[in-house]
Amino acid sequence: MEQQKQLQSLSNEYQTLQNDMSTLITARQKLESQQQENKGVQKEFNSLADDANIYKLVGPVLLKQDTTEAKSTVDGRLEYIGGEIKRIEESIKEITDKSETKKMEIMQIQGAMQQQQGAA
Amino acid sequence: MAEAGKGNQINLDALSVQQLSQVKKQFDEEVQHLTNSYQNLRVAQQKFKDCVTSVKEGVASSVQDKTLLVPLTSSLYVPGKLASTSHVLVDIGTGFYVEKTTDDALTFYAAKIEELGKNIKDLENVVNGKANNLRMIEEVLRQKMLVQQQQGQAQQGATAAAA
Repeated sequence: MEQQKQLQSLSNEYQTLQNDMSTLITARQKLESQQQENKGVQKEFNSLADDANIYKLVGPVLLKQDTTEAKSTVDGRLEYIGGEIKRIEESIKEITDKSETKKMEIMQIQGAMQQQQGAA
Repeated sequence: MAEAGKGNQINLDALSVQQLSQVKKQFDEEVQHLTNSYQNLRVAQQKFKDCVTSVKEGVASSVQDKTLLVPLTSSLYVPGKLASTSHVLVDIGTGFYVEKTTDDALTFYAAKIEELGKNIKDLENVVNGKANNLRMIEEVLRQKMLVQQQQGQAQQGATAAAA
């Protein structure tokens, strides 16, 4: 019985880890697509003439923006997104390790339980 | 791709029916997801193509003096006139708009369409590969089921004969 309780709590923990994992993966995917979009914008900015007119959509209106300002906004965004991706990758790795350990623990307990059953 | 397929084939025979169903489910989901992405890319490409048509026909000098209806909502229009037939504002993503000449805008859209076309082609290959793998899995699964069924019948026959 003791073992069964332990197994229960372990698999609950494992489940939680898996849920955290899928949340992180979704976040990672979102960041990836934002990064792609911003990269496209950056590429477009770089190919623009210096006197090009750039507007930014703020709510329902388009505001005219300075070229250099717009460029630095996008650069800043890309930097931030890069950092976030790194951070999330680390969290993902951490959780993978953790859930791997939990899996091993669960398998150990299951093995012990089966042996006991065989002995009984 | 062919090699990976071969590796799969060897693996597949060693798997149990349950495991195979699991793998099949996973592949089903993947193929579904990829097909959806493929359709989304197609839609996006079509939108850019529409933009090209709009720039070509809607912002040409031939319509300079004609009034047009500007949609404020999907059911409310006001009459308007083109302020310029030489420049347009292009949405380049993340809320930024750039003023471009119509020619530049067309080049921009053409580049986008080409880029998407490349992605669509790549994705098409991936989807086909996955679909092939899926078919292989289904085939092996079907055979396994058949074998299992025959075994079951043989057993039943044996017990019936014994009785």
